Amino acid sequence: MEATQVLFWFIAVVTILSAGIVAFSSKLIHSAFALLATLVGFAAFYVYLGADFLAVAQIMIYVGGILILIIFGVMMTHRIYDTSKRTAHNSLILSLLGGAAMAAILGMIIFRSPWTATVFKTLKPTTSMIGTSILTNYLLPFEVISVLLLGALVGAVYLARREEDEE
Amino acid sequence: MIQLESYLIISAIVFVLGIFTILYKKNAVGILMGVELILNSVNLNFIAFARYIDTYINGQLVAIFIIILAASEAAVALAIILNMYRDRRSVDVTKMDEMKN
Amino acid sequence: MNNLNSLQYFLPELFLSASILIIIIVDLLLKKDKKIITAYLSVLAVLVAFFLAYRQYNYAFTSLFEGMIVLDSFAVYFKVLTALSTIIVIFISMPAFRRHSEYYILLLVVTLGMFLMVEVNDLLMIIIAMEMVGIISYVLAGFNKFNMKSNEASLKYVLYGAASTGVMAFGFSYIYGLTGHTNLFAIQQAIVGHSLQPLPVFIAFVMVVAGLGYKIAMVPFHFWVPDVYEGAPTPITAFLSVGPKAAGIALFIRFLITVVAHPASQTTFIQNVQIQAPLLLAVLAVVTMTLGNVSALGQKNIKRMLGYSAIAHVGYMMMALVVFNTRGFTAIMFYMVVYMFMNFGAFWVVQSMTPHLGSEDISAYKGLGYRHPLTAVAMAVFMLSLTGIPPFAGFIGKVYLFAAIIKQNWYTLAVIGVINGVISLYYYAYVIKVMFLDRDEEIKAISVPLYDRVLLWLLLIPVLALGVYWGPLIDLAHNSIGFFFGN
Repeated sequence: MEATQVLFWFIAVVTILSAGIVAFSSKLIHSAFALLATLVGFAAFYVYLGADFLAVAQIMIYVGGILILIIFGVMMTHRIYDTSKRTAHNSLILSLLGGAAMAAILGMIIFRSPWTATVFKTLKPTTSMIGTSILTNYLLPFEVISVLLLGALVGAVYLARREEDEE
Repeated sequence: MIQLESYLIISAIVFVLGIFTILYKKNAVGILMGVELILNSVNLNFIAFARYIDTYINGQLVAIFIIILAASEAAVALAIILNMYRDRRSVDVTKMDEMKN
Repeated sequence: MNNLNSLQYFLPELFLSASILIIIIVDLLLKKDKKIITAYLSVLAVLVAFFLAYRQYNYAFTSLFEGMIVLDSFAVYFKVLTALSTIIVIFISMPAFRRHSEYYILLLVVTLGMFLMVEVNDLLMIIIAMEMVGIISYVLAGFNKFNMKSNEASLKYVLYGAASTGVMAFGFSYIYGLTGHTNLFAIQQAIVGHSLQPLPVFIAFVMVVAGLGYKIAMVPFHFWVPDVYEGAPTPITAFLSVGPKAAGIALFIRFLITVVAHPASQTTFIQNVQIQAPLLLAVLAVVTMTLGNVSALGQKNIKRMLGYSAIAHVGYMMMALVVFNTRGFTAIMFYMVVYMFMNFGAFWVVQSMTPHLGSEDISAYKGLGYRHPLTAVAMAVFMLSLTGIPPFAGFIGKVYLFAAIIKQNWYTLAVIGVINGVISLYYYAYVIKVMFLDRDEEIKAISVPLYDRVLLWLLLIPVLALGVYWGPLIDLAHNSIGFFFGN
């Protein structure tokens, strides 16, 4: 086996194990830090897939932004020093059953139909292609999502702000 | 060379773990983490298909937009969670008994 | 069509976007007690967008922005419908929401999202448009932020909404992997051309149905509905049960007739790959309407009851999806308009009466027929119309729905639908009974402001009128669907 393949499977195992910790850990702060490992692992997969821009975006937005938001949420809703506090859970058996059913369905999709690569691309930097696409074919989604972000901003600020003069 | 199926299997496993997290956790922030797992597995699928199936890189572009959506969704969800916690001191989605069935 | 040339066909959306920005700036200049001006501006903006959208009717089928969206009469029909629903909601909201211009700004953003939802032609645009409506709806559901119920509603809505979108996107990723395209037409050609295996297509379809089903409140993805409908502010409850639902159904139809099926003859579609989609939809329709109606039976809170009734109505509409022909789609498009008026009417009665009655419980409506007869009679009309009793509009709508499925020999489905109609009579009639047959010893008359009465009439007249003269609307709906066959 080549070194790159060994590394790939090592990252895969780490990613899946940390995703497992996110799912099974009863301490929320542990889940949050395991999520960090999962997200970085995904960035590594993007590198393997030749998606250099997305690997960087994954680190910057997911790890640098969303994960920080989530950790803020964990810290503000559970006092940080109180890491021994366990969170309540729904029935493990039922949840496992739900997960297993999903796994069976996906397993059928993946193993019972042929998924073979149909194009063979040489690896090359994607950033300029992405930039060109966003300003040509993907101009509309790009503009629309800015309105969406504006709306989300207005909404989130409204919800989070304190009102002095009410109730 | 790593096969397309390897990526599909990894993303399927993470997706299933995400679904499980949503079913299993009661804490709102915990459920949000499950959602992030699901969205990441979606992105991995799109990017893997962009590499092996698509002649162009449409999948990567879709993934960029999904990352943006995930960020805005997380922001709104946390605004609601914090707003709730301020009044209530709990974010357990099943403990909310304000409404009776 | 390229981006620059597409702009001339994108006027309603451009106008809405510009209005959103202008209203945000105007809001900054207004004093605290003058914020209601933004509501007037919003009505004006949606009204203009409404006419701009209406002018697009009968435009030839065009694909815009490099195939990201399409403009056709079907999209225009639903754009006009959703714009109308936003206008009505703003009027319903005005008496209660006088201090928060954010509310109206967010409503405009949702309207823009709904406009995009009905004209999408790309998997990415589907996700973005649905999230645009979704994310803002989460905020709107929790808009009364000091109300615990409203907060809970919005928290449940956002968490499970985000999860359902994730599942839908996962389904999309498989569709993309199977075909190598994100454009819906390209996907259709790839699926038909390569005769793919049914199984992955079917699973991807089920995942997409999960995401769309959440938005239109279909069983088994309906669990958020009762809580959100009870907890959200009443105008938002009314809005969620009409506007985004109409857009969701339009999106569902567009998805069905591109990714799942393609036109076969002048009026029917056949499936791209044989995946039993009609049967699955039929089962979901039966479960949806039965569960909605049976759960509505024991409800004490009127908003919760209307929430379950909204689930049941999604079931009725889905019933006509199974036939995959123009008759079915026309019936759904007609029913959506009728449903908009009768549902908004019922919610407007709830909204305007709650301050007088002091409660949202059905028992609080006791003797309303003697305290304010006009409102009570109007409510009775809305209830009877929702049940589907002649001569009101709801009856005509149901007739078309049932006619569509009977024509294609779905007899069992039709029988179950009729049984459901009978069940629903019980809880709708119960409201009427409480209003007219139960009475207190002393009758305290309620005085209703002129504004409330005018709006009530405006919602009541279409329900009465469409019950006796529905021809033009059904023709309009029928024309709008025609483009799918190139005429």
